[in-house]
Amino acid sequence: MNASKFIVAAVAMSISVTALGAGAHEDGHGAKSGEPAKASEADRTITVEMHDNYYEPEAIEVQQGETVRFVVENKGNLVHEFNIGTPAMHEAHQEEMMMMVEHGVIQGGKLHHDMMEMDMGNGHSMKHDDPNSVLLEPGQSKEIVWTFSEKGNLEFACNVPGHYQAGMYGDVNFN
Amino acid sequence: MKARLLAGALSMLLPMIALAGEYDLTVDRIKIDTGDFVKEGIGYNGKSPGPELRFKEGEEVTINVTNNLDEMTSIHWHGLILPFDQDGVPGISFPGIKPGETFTYNFPVVQAGTYWFHSHSGFQEPDGAFGAIVIEPEGREPFRYDRDYVIQLTDKHPHSGDRIMRNLKTTPDYYNRQQQTVGEFFSEVSEHGFMDSVKDRLAWGDMRMMKADIEDVQGFTGMINGKGPKQNWTGVFKPGERIRLRFINSSAMTYFDVRIPGLDMTVVQADGNNVQPVNVDEFRIGVAETYDVIVRPRDAQAYTVFAESMGRSGFARATLAPEEGMQAPVPPMRDPARLTMADMAGMPGMDHGGMDHSTMSDMDNSSMAGMDPSSMEGMDHSGMMENGDEVSDPFYAKGSGIAPTAANGGKFLSYTDLKAQKPLYEDREPTREIELRLTGNMERYTWSINGVKYEDADPIRLQYGERVRFKFVNETMMTHPMHLHGMWSILDVGAGEWNPIKHTVSVQPGTTLYMETEVDAPGQWAFHCHLSYHAAAGMFRKVIVEGGPEASQPSTEAATDAGGDA
Repeated sequence: MNASKFIVAAVAMSISVTALGAGAHEDGHGAKSGEPAKASEADRTITVEMHDNYYEPEAIEVQQGETVRFVVENKGNLVHEFNIGTPAMHEAHQEEMMMMVEHGVIQGGKLHHDMMEMDMGNGHSMKHDDPNSVLLEPGQSKEIVWTFSEKGNLEFACNVPGHYQAGMYGDVNFN
Repeated sequence: MKARLLAGALSMLLPMIALAGEYDLTVDRIKIDTGDFVKEGIGYNGKSPGPELRFKEGEEVTINVTNNLDEMTSIHWHGLILPFDQDGVPGISFPGIKPGETFTYNFPVVQAGTYWFHSHSGFQEPDGAFGAIVIEPEGREPFRYDRDYVIQLTDKHPHSGDRIMRNLKTTPDYYNRQQQTVGEFFSEVSEHGFMDSVKDRLAWGDMRMMKADIEDVQGFTGMINGKGPKQNWTGVFKPGERIRLRFINSSAMTYFDVRIPGLDMTVVQADGNNVQPVNVDEFRIGVAETYDVIVRPRDAQAYTVFAESMGRSGFARATLAPEEGMQAPVPPMRDPARLTMADMAGMPGMDHGGMDHSTMSDMDNSSMAGMDPSSMEGMDHSGMMENGDEVSDPFYAKGSGIAPTAANGGKFLSYTDLKAQKPLYEDREPTREIELRLTGNMERYTWSINGVKYEDADPIRLQYGERVRFKFVNETMMTHPMHLHGMWSILDVGAGEWNPIKHTVSVQPGTTLYMETEVDAPGQWAFHCHLSYHAAAGMFRKVIVEGGPEASQPSTEAATDAGGDA
């Protein structure tokens, strides 16, 4: 990568991270995706399997105010994400993920953690450490504890380039 | 078509019996109306394209093909893995189907995805004898969509295939309507100076070809699902739905650059095999290839599916809309591309700047004398497109005039983007390499492999169980979509175990491309360029797989007959 492209990438990175920072909790229409919580606060556990390229289940039912412990397992052969957000938040995050692919952080079934620490300027990196998402290599399993504090148009989605568009998302339905 | 599903009650009693379907196809002489002209053609069950055959993975299909023509016919199931005697190539798989006869194909469906079928006799396929095959997987699809449509492209020509071949043989540039004009020459002179322009013309003339040789059969009407641009095939959708579009290029000769202005496309399958999804703005579909894309139109408006031919001599057009009758603007075609010297780098003696005069035996040395490497260099750049210093597609020659760019400046699909979703074979070292030079002489319209045309060539012998690496060296200035029957072509895109598997691989002018094949299908198979008139001219081989299960050895009977037709 030449110098000018790197600067463009770094600037784009910082812009999209900023956008996500705002977007992680609120999109343009004031919708919230909820907030992180402690495992001890969880009302129940939902196991979500990630396959190439779809989830099982593809929809979950929640109550407003409910805290859910998600156990996310990557059963596929590719890197996948589990991210709770509005469609607009997912769209913004997809640009970030595109950059991670372009920089070789995500390669098929491999996550190059060393590169995720790389300084992208302005104190940003490609760590992918937002509380509303996990990014997993094949065989990995991680948890997210999430409180669905407000009703909204929420989806859980994989924003690895192409995966969301191909249909790797699920609906969060409020009862 | 009548599909008689026998599974129903029987399968409840005998769960071990697989799903079985029976299908009837008639081969008929029909009229084809493109909106620009009406011509005599050949179709299935009275129309072209024929009926969409919808199979299920694991199904045992029986297909009765009745020949209502006054000539021999055949059907090849393009991309399907099946016993060689069901593959439908006269002279290689079977003798063919006589006039008035019904031939019954019977084979298990062992795969899923988008494929097609076509006649492998004479020029029946360019004349309209093709249709789509859609196979539903046993398990779920690894993606989601609300509806799907086949988008089957073709290049319908007012002339019959036989007549086109005759004209090409007598006058190879008969259908080349984009020859450079005197006007174009003078504009080149003002841009590059008189001497360079003259040298350029002389150089191209000596090489028996022209910059405009991207498409050797022009003057067609592009069609989608049997409709010309004016007849506008339309697929309806509800806003917000995901639509799977199954693109199939059933053209005789034409590559198309496909886009849907206003919609991103996510490519999820190539040649029937799922690939890791890739978002694109535009893609080029080679002759005989298929690409499945998912689009999601959110607005209640019409979208144009626009497919320009690679040489910009024609286009196909269709519409996606919330209701029939709605239309979106149809963009103008972009300027035709011109081949550059880079596209000819593979020709003997054309190795980059250093020209080896000794191998250019049929060139006129007096005009060559004026060509030093530096002026070659200059010509090279004069023909280059805007993308000259962008990251170029490694599957095109560096500086190629036909390397594609997206109309909106966005992402254009490259072979390098294709990664298998789930590798079919374990990655292993090939047991040997076979070099196939794609060769031809434009002046005599002869096309061949390693300089030998089909009728003079020995078959390629492969051993059952080996993994062969094929090295294609394109020494011509045309793109050749090479199609191996019966076994997968593992295209080397440099992704190792994730290399995609295809049934047709496009080899661009002046490039070398590698593919590997796990030799796992006994019998004998066709292997050829899928441009109809190139295959017929001799860019064709018979492949014999030696060894393997006893029962599947070819009988001597099937091997008789006068060679495989394209």
